[in-house]
Amino acid sequence: MRPLTDTETKTLFEKLANYTGRSLNNLLTDTLPNPSSKQPDRYVFRIQNSRVYYVREALANLATSVARDNLLSLGTCLGKFTKTGKFRLHITALDVIAPHARYKVWVKPNGEMPFLYGGHVVKAHVGRWSEDCPEHQGVIVMSMNDTPLGFGVTARSTAEARRLDPTGIVTFRQADAGEYLREEDTLFTT
Amino acid sequence: MAAKAQTRFSTDQNKRPTKSSKPGLSSKARKPGSIKTAAKPTQQKAKPTTTLTKKKPPHLRYTEKELKVPQLNGIRPTGVQKAAKAKKGKHFVDDKDQMNAIMAMVMAEKEGNIESRMMRARQLEEIREAKRVEAEKRVEGKKAGLEERKQDIKDSKRKRRGQTNGDARAEEVVDVEKSKKPKKRVSFG
Repeated sequence: MRPLTDTETKTLFEKLANYTGRSLNNLLTDTLPNPSSKQPDRYVFRIQNSRVYYVREALANLATSVARDNLLSLGTCLGKFTKTGKFRLHITALDVIAPHARYKVWVKPNGEMPFLYGGHVVKAHVGRWSEDCPEHQGVIVMSMNDTPLGFGVTARSTAEARRLDPTGIVTFRQADAGEYLREEDTLFTT
Repeated sequence: MAAKAQTRFSTDQNKRPTKSSKPGLSSKARKPGSIKTAAKPTQQKAKPTTTLTKKKPPHLRYTEKELKVPQLNGIRPTGVQKAAKAKKGKHFVDDKDQMNAIMAMVMAEKEGNIESRMMRARQLEEIREAKRVEAEKRVEGKKAGLEERKQDIKDSKRKRRGQTNGDARAEEVVDVEKSKKPKKRVSFG
């Protein structure tokens, strides 16, 4: 387990910034002091076996006492670096990026299951969408009661999507909460 | 006596190797222990530190400038990216300020990207709208022209019909009668 290098940090932030707005800065701010720890703690990014974790610094410091080979995971896994140096976001990062989302797509109840089973979002299933969203932009997919279900990439800009037929794909799926079951045996292994 | 002494000496000599061989055997048995005691890394390491900490006598204290050695050519060749003294290996970012700087840079880049994409999308949308309006106008114009032509054809047909039905027939009859009268005939016989 080690901190990220500058290039890795840049790659990670670039990926996160695809989905989030300026409020992503909040990820780096200190937490409020709580009764258990009077000093404000901060969250840091740590890399372990090519996976990046978003973890409280105190916890990261404690984890140094575990051998690298024995340490499986800690904190929240955001994703992993590929061998070519790109970064892949995992569904586990949804809880970190959803509160800071820039663009959102709300799917109707009849579109939730198709999406959670790994399908793309079609226009007929869209309940609402953020205005002024360009093409190929990262979006968070939400249910109508504002529960984040996953994230994806827009297939069309909002203006173009309006003219699309009901079966046309509006958002390409990148990750959905159904992966917790479908990818259960590979999600947390190295 | 001398021979006796010789023999005694020889026996002594003979004895010596046997004596010396015995401790050799015993030393073999002791060897590992003796090596351990001999190799004391702390003692060896202690030597240079003591020499370093010791203050040099004043006549041996000098700086690099006082030596008047010509300046080393410190120009970095164009092909070399890193300075000679730069840190080798990975450069970790664990500082909040550094992290914030990287994030600000990335955010500005992304924001600019999105803005430019939106602008381009808007421009394309405008162009598309203008094209659509133009195409609609053209289709309408064509339709109007067609309608006009249809109307013209209809009108002309009606006119023709009206002419053939009313005056045109009478005129024709008159014409026929008129044309019949001045007909000249030539007869032989």
